[in-house]
Amino acid sequence: MTNQSPILAPLRTLRDSNRTKLVLFTLDNLIWPILLVAFLFFSALLPEIFTQYRNIRFLLYTSAGLGAITLAESICLISGNFDLSVGSVAGFSAMAGALFLTEWAPGAPGVIGILVLLCVGGAIGLLNGVLIAKMGVNPFLQTLSTLIIFEGGILVLSSQSVYGLPVSYLWPGEAVISIPVINPIPVAIFIMCGLFVGLWFVLSRTRFGRAVYAVGGNEASAAEAGIDTDRVIIAVYVISGVLAATGGLLLTGFNGGATPTTGTSQLFPAFTAAVIGGISLFGGRGNVINTLGGVLLLGTISAGLVMLNIDPTVIQTVNGIVLLAAILLYTVVHQYRERLLSDL
Amino acid sequence: MTVTETKPRIEVAGVQKRFGTVEALSDVSLTLNEGEVLGLVGDNGAGKSTLIKTLVGIHQPDAGEIRFDGEAVTIDGPKHARTLGVGTVYQDLALVDELSVAENLFLGRKPVRKLGGVLPVIDERTMAERAERILRERLDIELDPDTPVEYLSGGERQAIAIGRALVTDPDIVLLDEPTSALSKAAVERVEQLVQQLKASGHSVIIIDHNLEEVRSMTDRITVLFQGRTVDTLETAAVSRDDIVSMMVSGKPLGGPANNGADGQSSATQHSTSD
Repeated sequence: MTNQSPILAPLRTLRDSNRTKLVLFTLDNLIWPILLVAFLFFSALLPEIFTQYRNIRFLLYTSAGLGAITLAESICLISGNFDLSVGSVAGFSAMAGALFLTEWAPGAPGVIGILVLLCVGGAIGLLNGVLIAKMGVNPFLQTLSTLIIFEGGILVLSSQSVYGLPVSYLWPGEAVISIPVINPIPVAIFIMCGLFVGLWFVLSRTRFGRAVYAVGGNEASAAEAGIDTDRVIIAVYVISGVLAATGGLLLTGFNGGATPTTGTSQLFPAFTAAVIGGISLFGGRGNVINTLGGVLLLGTISAGLVMLNIDPTVIQTVNGIVLLAAILLYTVVHQYRERLLSDL
Repeated sequence: MTVTETKPRIEVAGVQKRFGTVEALSDVSLTLNEGEVLGLVGDNGAGKSTLIKTLVGIHQPDAGEIRFDGEAVTIDGPKHARTLGVGTVYQDLALVDELSVAENLFLGRKPVRKLGGVLPVIDERTMAERAERILRERLDIELDPDTPVEYLSGGERQAIAIGRALVTDPDIVLLDEPTSALSKAAVERVEQLVQQLKASGHSVIIIDHNLEEVRSMTDRITVLFQGRTVDTLETAAVSRDDIVSMMVSGKPLGGPANNGADGQSSATQHSTSD
């Protein structure tokens, strides 16, 4: 082996570099094989039940709200920032929209309520973005304070769940449409898929999206290259706020009303799903489509545990262990990646 | 190597820049004439990189004036500097490791096309084609434009940073230590590139720690010392030792301090001593 012919040497290098590329591609998209393994694991424990179409559909349906909130977290992480407020923004804007329709302007069409909800989410995002980008507030502390303010704000608005909402306000999260072949299927699944594909498109195909990655990768370099980094960061937080509010809307429809706790409980799962979907905490790296894999993995595990009649209070602990395993895995992958790159 | 053109493209007059209590630039004046290569030398902390960043609007001067083609301007930022025809290679290269070669070459100015006539999306094909042309024609290196920059060697990274400065076809090029990470052969390519730029009428400011390189590439040399201009001299009329002595002492050769923007007048008074 040591005596390579001069003709074969470059071929070998070529093959090695292709193999390296393949390995890197696999490492970048590791969530899908993991999801498959988890799914097969529960399918083996729950033969026939777990693989039923009804179960898979329900799994997707329960993931919709969390999916939108995970996207809200992911875009902030990709830009090299942080958003702890996604859960409370989801809950607060959903509650504001619900109260607008039932108390502040009863009789208004549900669509106006949805607009109010999106504007509230966007406005909180704008507040986060402006203070972080223009005032230089640490993103962690900034969004920690908005987390606390608006989690409390939900209770200021209403300490009780709000029901009796117009059908059109609940429609995105509740409605079921009938489509041949895939039977009746919740609209929320399509909305979720649309959001994932839409955000992926924006982040990978537009100037703004690539600027988000550039700012996340190296903010100083992006600024030196002429990117208005402040504007990018503010836009990222506004989009994050709107996505979180959309998650709140989907959860409201799923629950049939706005409850004070639905949104706030979503922060940790959203964060976990983003990280196990391969979004780098250091910014500039990660594909939002893969965070859908993260969302579905959490959904698969919790559905599996519920079906196995395991105490639901265990779920958070399990999610935490999954997060820890993911962080360990990505740390190892990161080191392996560095080694691969240094060989090139 | 006599300077025949005297039309000033950039004039820096008495520029000051303070960061808190640190005075990075206390009194810098220099002139970049059309079609010349101006070397900027000085010890670490003399203010060379700060001056470059002030020229592209990353820093705003606290006092003094920057004139482009005789007109005083306030430069908002790198984008504005680009519209004034300035291309810059930063000392830290300003690359984003996670992004591809093509994306780094077009960072902040990717070509777009309208998808379905309305939706502006990045024109990947145009970007790849133009990137390939720049790599081949301007930089003479073979690289796949899709390769992430983190895969590249130090020299290749430097080449990408230089390539990016040339993407907009600037007529003024600022090079902050473009050869610091390069092998000898690659340094020669940069020297050739600078000569090509000069031959095609570009004006160039180059910062370089290697005085031999500075002497072989430039028409005139401005020496900075602790944030102020010591002197500007014609390269042909100054020895390496003269430059070193000005860099270390902060005093111009012979006569009293000359901090004026029009430093080249004193150049002819000094003859080479080696």
